[in-house]
Formats: sequence, structure tokens, C-alpha cells
Amino acid sequence: MVSINYATREVTCKIVYYGPGLSGKTTNLIYIHKKVPANTKGKMISLATEADRTLYFDFLPINIGTISGFAAKFQLYTVPGQVYYNATRKLVLRGVDGLVFVADSQADKMDENIESLTNMRENVEEYGYNLDEIPVVIQYNKRDLPNVLSVEELDAKLNNKGWASFGAEAVNGAGVFDSLKMIIKLVLEKAKQGQKSKPKAEKKAAPAPAAKPESVAEKPATMTPSSEGVRESVPESQPVVSGSAETAQSRVAPEVREHVKTTAESAAPTGPIRSPAYDREGTGGESDKKEPVSSSDVPPMNKDIVSTTDDINQIPSDVKENKPGGEVGQETGRVTSDQARPFPGSRRERRITVSDFLPSSREDGMEEIDEESETDNVKKETAAESNLPSPTMAPSSRLIKKKRGFFKRLFGIK
Amino acid sequence: MSDDDLIIYEEEIEKIDLVLSKMLKGAEAKCALLVDKDGHLITRQGFTHSLDTTALAALLAGSFASTKEIARLVGESEFSVLFHQGKKDHIHMSLVGDRSILAVVFDDRTTIGMVRLYAKEAATELAKIIASVKSSSRESHTGLTDEFASTAGDKLDDIFQD
Repeated sequence: MVSINYATREVTCKIVYYGPGLSGKTTNLIYIHKKVPANTKGKMISLATEADRTLYFDFLPINIGTISGFAAKFQLYTVPGQVYYNATRKLVLRGVDGLVFVADSQADKMDENIESLTNMRENVEEYGYNLDEIPVVIQYNKRDLPNVLSVEELDAKLNNKGWASFGAEAVNGAGVFDSLKMIIKLVLEKAKQGQKSKPKAEKKAAPAPAAKPESVAEKPATMTPSSEGVRESVPESQPVVSGSAETAQSRVAPEVREHVKTTAESAAPTGPIRSPAYDREGTGGESDKKEPVSSSDVPPMNKDIVSTTDDINQIPSDVKENKPGGEVGQETGRVTSDQARPFPGSRRERRITVSDFLPSSREDGMEEIDEESETDNVKKETAAESNLPSPTMAPSSRLIKKKRGFFKRLFGIK
Repeated sequence: MSDDDLIIYEEEIEKIDLVLSKMLKGAEAKCALLVDKDGHLITRQGFTHSLDTTALAALLAGSFASTKEIARLVGESEFSVLFHQGKKDHIHMSLVGDRSILAVVFDDRTTIGMVRLYAKEAATELAKIIASVKSSSRESHTGLTDEFASTAGDKLDDIFQD
């Protein structure tokens, strides 16, 4: 389904290349990726097996530029052709706007073509779409191989719906762009009809830039998948059959795949076209993120679960008011703060723990302990230990001796 | 089919962005993407400049779709949360409504629990916003004009040259 985003001013359509295994779907995308200008394409992604067979899908985003204030983006996908991968093949069809059926022209591949076409219909219908309503272009690939059926024969067997059809040699690019241009035209045509057929109510406030024209210029020349269109297109792209006897596998050759790996990395990804308003939002979010978390920023509903830094700071002082014993107060505060952390190890939890040991961030409760511990004897030594200026400093020998004396007295050792 | 067209207006995106940035701040995550199940990116927030978000959106949707099939095989209708753990960066994906996915990228500065908690809340809010988008977009369509289709057709010849 066409996605229209008024905030980023983008129209995105999904085009899927379907067809039997080794018919040249990925080769189509590789050729498109190789030939379109760098500012038009994004990175091509191929989810393939070790043997370079498509496992899930290939993906190539294309941005054909800004039209009427909207960036027109097309996402080209291929499906895995092998019968075995029907589960993943079906998934790629979700939300499809246009289909290019890449058929293998070789005479002995006709059964596979028919099987794949039937499978395409089944899978499309499983999503609740009607294949008659989805724009389809059929591409008879591998015209350069010997033992190919004529386009007329292929049309008679595969194209009973009158879809636009093209002969092609994806490996050297013949007919690839013809198919692509046709499917893009059909998809846009269909999207336009879809828009038109819906009842138009009042316009929303946010959309409609000045660039949006109200005047409707009817273009009669736009092509439709009529039989006339088919006949027109066939001779132009019907190629001379060359004597090449390469096998299908070697045609989708490693060097082409290599190309994807190299060029895909070097190619600049399609720059997202963002409205100024959107940019402002985006950068705003980032700068905000750097700021420390304050209680006012946390959604109110979280307050009972995750206490903020402010909450934690309050706990010891509250306790101090109720219980004069600083030591107890501190202990209670610590426990409460730990309980208030549903996720131990989170950043804030760690911060609090460390700060407990630092003299600069000591709470009021701690200071009270200091005063008491100065006057108190051995029983308060544990508190006195926490009185040390730095956690890294070892307890003094005097303290250790005191401690030993305490234990000796306690257990009656002489 | 075009009844299902996803049309989102600026004001809804603003609302969604607000929810996302609030979630990012709370969970201390790096960035968040809202992706249509078809693989279209709806919006994003946070540190996304170094990411190829278009490809990421397509792959996340693909990942989610394949997991749904796995769920079906084990007798579940759908897994609502998906988590990919890496050495430094991790991705948490959760279902938003019935047709969108919220993906949160985060690192070791926060924890999966925090992200999960905030993502769950955000998903509830986002589902409401998206539901309102669906109902409102039925009423008003100002999308593609005739000129859009024809101008695009003319542009194709310039771009796709052998």
C-alpha cells in the first residue's frame, strides 16, 4: 500500500519482483543499482545464502526526486524464487503496490513459470488482495539464451490478463528499465485512482504546501496495461537471440554479486528528505537526551515504579527526621533506594551507589554519624570506618587493632 | 488495496515524535524508529544520523514478519516483543497496534528492563495515535494528484537511462 507521510513529505511505494528461481529477479535489481545515479539510489541489501541464492529478499530503495513537494520513493524487493522458500516469499508480498513477474523465457522452464505465477496469485490472495487490482508487469527474461520461446508464445501461456510485457536480458540490462518504468507508472496511476475513488472531505490543516497544484492536468498519454500497450512494447525490447550457452547460474555471476558488495558500500544512501519542522524535532530530541533526567521529564505514570534522582535524594532526609540514629537512617535510605530500582544495574542505581562512598556527595545523615562516631567507642567502629576520607584508602592500623580487641573481648580470647 | 494506504499528517507525526523522545529520555536509549509492517519508516527520533534508516526499517519489518511465521509454527499468533542482543548495541522491537513496529536501539548505558518498560508504555500511546490516523485519513485525502503521477512518469526517463 502506498505510504504518504506529510511530515517528511514522502510518498513510498513497494514494488516486488516475483518469479521462479534463477529467473533473474536479483539480477534486475543489481542492474538497476548499477545504472541509476548515486543520488537516486540507496544501499542495496541482499539477504542471500552462501551460494548467492536469495534467502529472504533483496532490497533497493530508489528516490526519483521531489514532485509536487513530495519525494517519490520506490522500494524494490525481490522474493526468493525457490519453491522451498514459500514461507519467506509470501512475507515479502505484504503491502505490495506493484508486481514485476520475471519469467524465464527458456522452453524447459515454462512449468516453473506457471507454477510461480500460480503461487504468486495464491500468496497475494492470502493477504486478502485481489491480483486483478494490483498493477503487474511481466518480464520475459533471458532472451539472449538459445532455446527460448517467442514472446507471443510466452504471452499466450502466461499473460492471459493482458499485463504489460517486455522481453529482457537482465544480465546486460535490456528491458530492465522498460519494466521498471512501466510498473512505476502503473503504480502511480493506481495510487491516483485510489485517491480519487475515495470521498473527499474537508482538508486537514497540516498538509497541503503551496507546491500542491489544484488544477488537474489530464495526461492521456499515460500507459495502461492494455493489449495495445503490450504490443507496442514488445518489439522494442525483443532482442536478438545470441548464441550464448551460459547456464543460468553462471549468468547471475559472482562478479555481479561482487559488484553489489563493493558498490553498495561506496554508494551514498538515499538521503532522507526531511521537512525543516521534522529536523527541528529530531535534533531537539537529541539535545534533550543529553540533559540529566529530572523528575518533571518522567511520565507521571512511571513515578510509582521508577523513582527519580530527586526522589532518592529526599529519602535519607525524611528518614533522618523520623529516626535520630544517623546510621539507621542511612541504612534505611539505602534499602529504599534499592527497592525503588526495579532494574538493578541501571545507570541511576549505579550512580547512587558510588556517590555513597564519595565524601562530596554524602547526605546529611552521614554527617551525623561522623559526629557520633568521634565520641563513641568500639561499638561504632563500623560507622567510623565509613568516615574514611576515600574508599580507596586502607583502614588505619589503630582501627584494625581496636577491631581485634573488640572481637577478643567478645569471644573471651586472651 | 488502497483502502489500506497509510497516510500520516504532520500533526500526528509530531505527537508520535513527542512520545518517542519522551520514551528515549526515560529509557536512556539511543534512538527509536516507528516502522510500518510493510517496511516503510513512519518516523524516527534520537541518534539516527549514522544509520541507514530506510534499510533498517525494511529489515526490521522483514525480521518481524519472519518471527510472526515462527510464532505461528509454535502455535502463537504473533510474538509481540523481539530483542536482538549485540556486543555493544541492542535492539528491542515491540508491536504497536496491529500494523506498526516500535524499534528501540540502545547500548549498555541502560538496561533491557528499562527499555522494555518505557517501550511498552510508548507502544500503548502510539497505538492510540495510529488508530486515530487510520480513522481520520479515511475522511480526508489530499494525496496524489494527477500531476504527481504524470510528472513522475516524465522524470523516470531521465533517471532510468541505459
